[in-house]
Amino acid sequence: MAKIIVVTSGKGGVGKTTSAAAIATGLALRGKKTVVIDFDVGLRNLDLIMGCERRVVYDLVNVIQGEAGLAQALIRDKRVDNLHILPASQTRDKDALTPEGVEKVLETLSGDFDYILCDSPAGIERGAQLAMYFADEAIVVTNPEVSSVRDSDRILGLLAAKTRRAERGEDPVKEHLLITRYNPERVDYGDMLTLEDIREILAIDLIGLIPESEAVLRASNQGIPVVHDQKSDAGLAYADTVSRLLGEEVPLRFHEIQKKGLLSRMFGGGRR
Amino acid sequence: MSLKADRASLAFSFKGGLLPMTVMELTSADPERIREQLAGKLSQSPAFFQHTPVVLSVERLDEPHLALERICAVCRAHKLLPVAVRGGSDPVKQSAWALGLGWFPPQEARARSLESVPVGDAEVAAPSSAASGAAEPAAVPAARIYRGTVRSGQQVSAPEGDLVVIGAVNAGAEVLAAGSVHVYGALRGRALAGIHGNAATGIYCRELHAELLSVAGNYKRLEDVDPRLLGAAVEVHLSDDQLAIAALD
Repeated sequence: MAKIIVVTSGKGGVGKTTSAAAIATGLALRGKKTVVIDFDVGLRNLDLIMGCERRVVYDLVNVIQGEAGLAQALIRDKRVDNLHILPASQTRDKDALTPEGVEKVLETLSGDFDYILCDSPAGIERGAQLAMYFADEAIVVTNPEVSSVRDSDRILGLLAAKTRRAERGEDPVKEHLLITRYNPERVDYGDMLTLEDIREILAIDLIGLIPESEAVLRASNQGIPVVHDQKSDAGLAYADTVSRLLGEEVPLRFHEIQKKGLLSRMFGGGRR
Repeated sequence: MSLKADRASLAFSFKGGLLPMTVMELTSADPERIREQLAGKLSQSPAFFQHTPVVLSVERLDEPHLALERICAVCRAHKLLPVAVRGGSDPVKQSAWALGLGWFPPQEARARSLESVPVGDAEVAAPSSAASGAAEPAAVPAARIYRGTVRSGQQVSAPEGDLVVIGAVNAGAEVLAAGSVHVYGALRGRALAGIHGNAATGIYCRELHAELLSVAGNYKRLEDVDPRLLGAAVEVHLSDDQLAIAALD
């Protein structure tokens, strides 16, 4: 039985898809059979971040509506064994998703994979609710910024009320906080919320902290999940996050201002 | 012809009522054993057996067919008047009706249907102590206790008594009570006390950041709050129709 993890946030543009792609890739690199599903029907992005946009033939909606088999729609990742992508449809809208259809897809995948990552669309409407409904765990992606924190808070409320686990009275969905785009210098200036502020308001376990990094944008545009870039701080931070997801204790890093060495100060070495 | 029926011409009117009633909880269906026990009771407290109406509860019996007629005869012989049967199988229900007795559904089923009154969309199911308090005679409405963070978009209410939140109330959340609101944590959302107009209620919290405070309809926005009180433990109550906020320590 696969573990179903939803990557969600409420707010858009905080790094859900980047995180879903990086974490799915990280899990596969650790030998876990992983599939990542794009639930953002109509605004297909995950395939771009994963660099498989030219290989999309069938999508989630085709499978749900019986126009294609699951095996036809799943795309095997070129870089990592054990990793598959189920893309979203670009031409349909979120009404094409049905709870029964999603349940059937997840059930079928559950037998073949260790982890199923559901990349949720932004918002709290149907698409986001269906992405979270069957989840066992949730990664709530939050930026150090008040509106993002409030939207994450709203999503946490929905996770506690509008999921299958909540409705059946089972153990609640396990919630993890993933802070992205964290910039210790700007936190220090008071431009950004501190790690402690966010943890205090959301009151859930921190699974990772991803520093603001040029590597993320570069990775997105190249279609190579940033976790492959083990020279970058963001890549390492995602690898740490995956380790914590697998139950390992890893100390937090990149949350404090790094003292710049003389050379990097002279040559203006940015965060890479 | 008048549409209004003349009161005096009515033969009767229906009234709802709750009457005290003795329930005879049967643990045996054997009329002979019932007769023996009744005979013993009758000698102990003869005053009780004065054509006392009783409801025969057969919920704890696991028998589809009961000698209901004989059990009733035994009761009547000891000056108990069976008026209805509670629980039991369909044949039991049919024979109760045939004997001119009423039939009530089993108690657990009724209790359950009362408990599962649907709550509002945003309302979060929380363990409430109201149920246990309601059984006590003339009880003051018990406080509703909510443990955990009340999150943005959630609403937790105590429509009768006080609301106690053991945790924080986050921005965009709303907590309301007919009585007072107590928040053992940061209050960042909206808090409304005395929602039915009770002016003797208040709001108490460990850390004040509330978007809105209201007691019996008198409200203050965060903007109107003295900035020195922000983040402090405070109590909020009505004083001359004005909200007064005072630090607790």
